[in-house]
Amino acid sequence: MSWRRLNHALHRDIGYLCIGLTLVYALSGIAVNHVGDWNPNFKVVRATSQLSPSSFSGVVSEDQVLQLLRQIGEPSVYDNYFQNDPESVRVFVNDRIIDYHFASGEVIHERVEPRSFWHPLNFLHLNHPKKAWTWMADLYAIGMVLLALTGLLLLPKGKMRPRCLLLTVIGFALPLFFLALYY
Amino acid sequence: MKKTFLIISLTLLLLSLTVATFAASFGKGITLKEVTPISTIFENPDSYLGHKIQVEGLVVDVCAKRGCWLYIAGDKPFQKLRFKVTDGVMVFPMTARGKKAKVEGVLQKFVLTKEEVIARKRHHAEETGESFDPATITSGETFYQLRGTGAVVEGL
Repeated sequence: MSWRRLNHALHRDIGYLCIGLTLVYALSGIAVNHVGDWNPNFKVVRATSQLSPSSFSGVVSEDQVLQLLRQIGEPSVYDNYFQNDPESVRVFVNDRIIDYHFASGEVIHERVEPRSFWHPLNFLHLNHPKKAWTWMADLYAIGMVLLALTGLLLLPKGKMRPRCLLLTVIGFALPLFFLALYY
Repeated sequence: MKKTFLIISLTLLLLSLTVATFAASFGKGITLKEVTPISTIFENPDSYLGHKIQVEGLVVDVCAKRGCWLYIAGDKPFQKLRFKVTDGVMVFPMTARGKKAKVEGVLQKFVLTKEEVIARKRHHAEETGESFDPATITSGETFYQLRGTGAVVEGL
């Protein structure tokens, strides 16, 4: 087998192997790039309800927290509670949050849900699993290097055409340009 | 049969202990031996400025977008301390809310004008989705935060 045929075969097969992982990294990359605009891993689901206003102000007792839970139809069980100020209380119940403002009687129920599509993708992209996934990700990175190098040698009719050269130079220039701009 | 039952029971016990004590470490984790109560820090915060300290308590809020800060409840009512990390260095999941945590960092002081307080609270409200009325801010304020180096959150 000539080196050109070998190079072509390598490029093609590595390309097929990397399709799934490239989609994982690329899609997750877009998602986490815009982390300033949204949380790519979790969504917050909010609902409000209304209780009669209370004249209470100060440090709440455990009994008062339990009473609040009963009033809004929750089981009388909570994990913790916290008061940011004397006019409200935040109750933590099974990964949910219940905020109650005494004077207005407003109750805000907040639940955090992992985004079913993005959370697993970001989990892999950001290497949260560690362990064997680290090696898998390293192999993928080596695969991408090979894909780039074999791609560079996919010369039409064995010659480096001006168009190929121009595109390759642009490919190198883009990161250098942004490094010069922001680094 | 008895031996199998014993092995299964011991395995389940060990597994439950492992799950019960599981904690997620962030950044450099915990390195200091001594925990400083948040109430002690707030009694004389300026004396801790620039010092690396460790605090522990309930995580009462987490940055909803970048996971780049969290608030630790103090040991006295109505107290909480902000724990801020560089974006991306540590990313705290929103599921950390309501969990116990130990965090370490260097105490910083910020003296803000009224306009800066409004801008900061507006940004906080955008991140958390809470409502904010600028009219409630009548003056500047001083606040303290830990510039985080590491954290351990239980039950994650």
